[in-house]
Amino acid sequence: MWRLLGLAVSVAIVGAAIAACRPGDDVGYVEIKTVPVTPVTQTAFYLDSTKLAPIKKGSAILRQRVGILKLQADGFAGALAPLCDIVVKRNRITTVTVSVLERPPRCQCRYSGSDAARACVS
Amino acid sequence: MESLLAIGQGRRPRFAVAALFAVALALSGTAAIAEDGSSTAGNATSPVEEFSQQLEAFQKSVPDLNKSIQDSAGTIDSVTDVEKARAEIDKLRETVSTLLGAVSDNGPVSQLGAKALDHVHDKLKRLAQETRFKPEERQYLLDQWRKLELETSSATKELDDARAQFAGLLQTLQTNEDFIGELLEIRQAEKALEVIRNLTHDIRDASTHLNKLIGGIKPPGA
Repeated sequence: MWRLLGLAVSVAIVGAAIAACRPGDDVGYVEIKTVPVTPVTQTAFYLDSTKLAPIKKGSAILRQRVGILKLQADGFAGALAPLCDIVVKRNRITTVTVSVLERPPRCQCRYSGSDAARACVS
Repeated sequence: MESLLAIGQGRRPRFAVAALFAVALALSGTAAIAEDGSSTAGNATSPVEEFSQQLEAFQKSVPDLNKSIQDSAGTIDSVTDVEKARAEIDKLRETVSTLLGAVSDNGPVSQLGAKALDHVHDKLKRLAQETRFKPEERQYLLDQWRKLELETSSATKELDDARAQFAGLLQTLQTNEDFIGELLEIRQAEKALEVIRNLTHDIRDASTHLNKLIGGIKPPGA
């Protein structure tokens, strides 16, 4: 009885969560992969000015608003070092691999051919 | 294509044909009267008949050309299969995107899992320092919370798997969509080439008929 009730509550919570986060017309995804893979990355990353949680097991998938985001990392003297721009498109996932061995870390991604700014695209 | 259609459907060519026809009739009529005795006696087709046939062929070719242009444009517009496939992929992508949204690292389900795990860790830490309970009671509670910790960790791992799976699925759909887009472009380019080839052929035919028509106009004494 309690088990069933627990299951029903869990289903309701997950359902509500899915409904709450249902992407609108302006939501896409950014996948950040770090190499080499470590349990938790030491480098702090930022998307625009938002600090990201440490990346676990070399991968993080983040839901973001559609647009162009600036991936940054902690630089020298507390300043943020811009790494690359990421284009987020609706219901699409843009993957960026960041080599954390280099200083500052370096982005590897698929670039749009026409974009002079060489922003990472999906 | 629109400009070609506009030219094909315009009034000017018809007017030109009608004017040409009138001039040709007048000239051929004069020629027929002048050569009445000689030309009508033989079995060969007279210039008037020949002209009429060529004019008929030409006039027939004009609507065919128009129809050809319209059909060609229609053919390009009716490339619906790839569009349908693309729409289906869009729909699938939206569904997968919704699911990925829930399990993404900053999504609500993932955050709930992380919170639950933090709570269990916190509880275990506090229980280890707890002095209110008898040792056996404390051990029982610790065992229960450790069991919960294992189950929560296992659920969190399932969430990681689901995240990776949905992300992979979304990437596959993206790749296929790009491929379908490329196929569509190739198909349209091929259709456009075919249309151009057909039009060139039809225009050449019409031009041949027109040349014959003009060649058939023989002024008196020519």
